[in-house]
Amino acid sequence: MSDFKRQHPVAALSRAFGLIRGNIVTIIVFLFVGAQSESFSFLWWTLGGFAFLLIVGFANWWRFLYKVEDGLIHIKSGIFVRKNLYLTKDRIQVIDITAGIIQRIFGLVQLDIQTAGASSRAASIEAITRDRAEAINRLLRRKREDSGEEDNDGAEFEIEDDIKQTISLPNKELLIAASTSGSFGIALSVIGTVFSQIEPLISESQFYDYLYSILPSQTDTMFYIALIAGFIVFAWLLSFFGTLFNYGNFSLEIKEKEIVISRGIFEKKRSTVPFNRIQAIHISEGIIRQPLGYASIHLESAAGYGDDRGTGSILFFPLIKRKRILSLLDEVLPDYQKELAALKPPNRSLRRYIFRSTFLVTAVTAGVWWWFDLNVLMWIFPILAIIWGWLKYNDTALGWGDDILVLQSRNLSKSTAYIKKKRVQDASISQSPFQRYRNLCSVQVYVASGDRGKSFNVRDVELEDGLTVLEQIRIEGVNTTIDESLESETERQVIQLPGWA
Amino acid sequence: MKEPPFHKLTPRAIRVWQWSNSIRSLFFFIIPVVYAAIFGMDGFHKWIVVSLAVIVFIAWLLSIFLMPYLSWKNWRYAIDENEIDLKRGVIFKTRTLIPLSRVQHVDTRQGPLLGSYDLASVTISTAATTHEIPALDEVLADRVRQQISTYARLAEEDV
Repeated sequence: MSDFKRQHPVAALSRAFGLIRGNIVTIIVFLFVGAQSESFSFLWWTLGGFAFLLIVGFANWWRFLYKVEDGLIHIKSGIFVRKNLYLTKDRIQVIDITAGIIQRIFGLVQLDIQTAGASSRAASIEAITRDRAEAINRLLRRKREDSGEEDNDGAEFEIEDDIKQTISLPNKELLIAASTSGSFGIALSVIGTVFSQIEPLISESQFYDYLYSILPSQTDTMFYIALIAGFIVFAWLLSFFGTLFNYGNFSLEIKEKEIVISRGIFEKKRSTVPFNRIQAIHISEGIIRQPLGYASIHLESAAGYGDDRGTGSILFFPLIKRKRILSLLDEVLPDYQKELAALKPPNRSLRRYIFRSTFLVTAVTAGVWWWFDLNVLMWIFPILAIIWGWLKYNDTALGWGDDILVLQSRNLSKSTAYIKKKRVQDASISQSPFQRYRNLCSVQVYVASGDRGKSFNVRDVELEDGLTVLEQIRIEGVNTTIDESLESETERQVIQLPGWA
Repeated sequence: MKEPPFHKLTPRAIRVWQWSNSIRSLFFFIIPVVYAAIFGMDGFHKWIVVSLAVIVFIAWLLSIFLMPYLSWKNWRYAIDENEIDLKRGVIFKTRTLIPLSRVQHVDTRQGPLLGSYDLASVTISTAATTHEIPALDEVLADRVRQQISTYARLAEEDV
């Protein structure tokens, strides 16, 4: 392993497909622009583009060299601009071996190496044989455990594959997760974009006439309603199967120092999250899932263990009965204090919540109703907005324990974030003139998450509570215990979080 | 909450902001120009263009003669061995607390405008966010940077 090696040639193919996937929208637009031109046929455009991507992929493969030596991996890459990446084994946090579709067809694996740096991208070897991947893994990992520099107690000696517990997602919950997935809206917008691109082609053909003849509709209105309904069903199916394929085979392995989350039916994804990199737990109850009593759990992790976009948000559990959350978290993350008292925003901020969620909707409704002379039923939207504002008020809470902050709020879904005080990167309170008048403030807390940070907010809480949060972050910095005087006074309205039991 | 000793920015900051605002706010004059380009200047539209122009002009004057002063007046920073405390905002007031153990690096920056007034800004980065103390005297900015990095080393912890 001490001289430079190329990847398996399949890496060229996988890179080409990676480029296609990364630029899918551009490619579609390009194809349709190309399809309109006379001189080149559609086929030539497609073939030419694909050949170009293959050449790029091949060049990338040719210019990518790696070498493992003395616990150091050296990667040279870049077609024109050469980039040298050196990673030493004590900087390496996680080595993940995964297999995408292309890798699986050829019986290969992908090796991802992740380091701790907030802005450093992961190094990734896209296609190598499993044996070689395991060899690299051994070379880069073994020594570190021997020296045991990560843990100071040194007494424990862990074995690589010490899985303490494996939790999987039952099929029933997978189906519920898929059918209530929030990616429905995204799917709808993707379909909309694609449709707007191909619409000219369709309208020239006989497609509309054909649809018109088979749909059981007599009027234009009916036709459009049927069309929209068709779109929605299609989008829902897309998001249903998307979620099914993404989160099928979900399993959670709890190890001594890390959690391994693997998921995916066709394309397997694995994320490894060391316990000491977890920055916050974040439980989200979607607007459809909440009435069914379900929620999903995310972890915020420092350094990009999450997705390719560099966020550190990791889906820790896709769907779980609210009643089971506490027992699961108690098992996996016992050092988080989950049940504690929290303060609600005072009554005087209710009107602000309702105003904020209502005024835009009301203005638009009034305008539309006035000009287009629509049905009185339109006024259901402002009423819904009032209810929404009330829900937001009702689901907002701010709590703190010995070493933990809890911020609960709602946009569409209700979100509850548990943040260790020592993980808070910065905390802000802000006041608008109206909040100043009412002695309220908004609190924003940042934690590290991937390359960037993630913020959690609560709005319109007592100024005093906001200041208390700042004071606690300050005291945490000083490393002393919290003064008794900071405990909340009793005449305030206190709710018990998380309130799922 | 205990109040740490807050410092103000250098009064020269006002000058710098006046210059930068006078250029930045010029872009708002695009609004009446675009409106005129689209709808023309006939009759009714002329009045809209004129009133838009007047509003933008007043905003431009305010952004030069009032806002820099108010921002300066509202900006406060405090640094001690445990945290950095920033207060700012004219209409929306914000107060941010950054524990020093979270500070990853500190930079001083100086563009041509700040440079011509012997000023520099101090940028503080954590693993999640970046904050800036704008427009300090360059000697002071260097000292602040030194101070923060010394304190941050003392307060070192893992992320």
